[in-house]
Amino acid sequence: MLANTSILVAGAGGLGSLSSMYLAAAGVGRIVIVDDDVVEPSNLNRQILHGEQGLGKDKVLSAAGRLSDLNSGVTVVPVKLRITDDTIDHILDGIDLIMDGTDNYDTRVVLNRAALKIGLSWIFGGVSGFDGMASLFSPKGKPCFECVFPPPGAKEDPGPGIIGPAAGMIASIQSMEAVKEILGIGKGLTGRLLRLSGMDMRINVSTLPPNPECRTCGRQLRKGSRP
Amino acid sequence: MKIILNGVEEIIPDGLSITDLIEWVKEGDPHLMVEVNNTYIYPKEYDRVWVRENDRIEMINPNLGG
Repeated sequence: MLANTSILVAGAGGLGSLSSMYLAAAGVGRIVIVDDDVVEPSNLNRQILHGEQGLGKDKVLSAAGRLSDLNSGVTVVPVKLRITDDTIDHILDGIDLIMDGTDNYDTRVVLNRAALKIGLSWIFGGVSGFDGMASLFSPKGKPCFECVFPPPGAKEDPGPGIIGPAAGMIASIQSMEAVKEILGIGKGLTGRLLRLSGMDMRINVSTLPPNPECRTCGRQLRKGSRP
Repeated sequence: MKIILNGVEEIIPDGLSITDLIEWVKEGDPHLMVEVNNTYIYPKEYDRVWVRENDRIEMINPNLGG
């Protein structure tokens, strides 16, 4: 099952680093990894897909080398590209599931709308400081990303940065959700939001009720269906 | 009355809505998210949801970095 699955890892940063490695190690058949940045020294505390040898290189090329080394049976497709409304359709060709490894609100809105449009699930992850969150947004009548994070979304404040293990924990949870979603097992995070507070080491999972006021999916919710 | 706010016991005035509670704790994040007893509350409901004794309330700042 995993070997027949094609996953888009949107971003080769802190989240995408770990999730892509877990997916490759698990034997996912095809990983399309997309990022338009190069590896910088400030990335290395959490972006463990990359090392000092990769400094200055395209993140997707650095990523492809590491993932192929981890599991040569995985087809890794590196795509150096910024994810926008204009590019997303091309990237999603043949994709079964989207892993969020992005670092801002606007790109997640692009993922959300594209996923709703073509009926794909996507696994959200976000981190800052010692904290993080994760959820699974599915087109099957549950809240969408913009229900929970309505526009205009928060601009990520670089602040004190992201501690590596926060990204690692959230990416690990995303990876577990991905395997469950592909295999159709367990109880996923659809309709629920998991939150990690690393500083006081608490993990909460809250229920996300449908939001009929959501401008992106609310109209469909009120009609009782999804696009 | 007593509530559990972000995992910590707090004594707050009686008769507060979620809007009042946000003001009372001086939380200024415009993107704040609120959860009451493990259920997410949408901002449109903040004036209609009243805080009750022993409620477990989480005030959450979105994490959107990666």
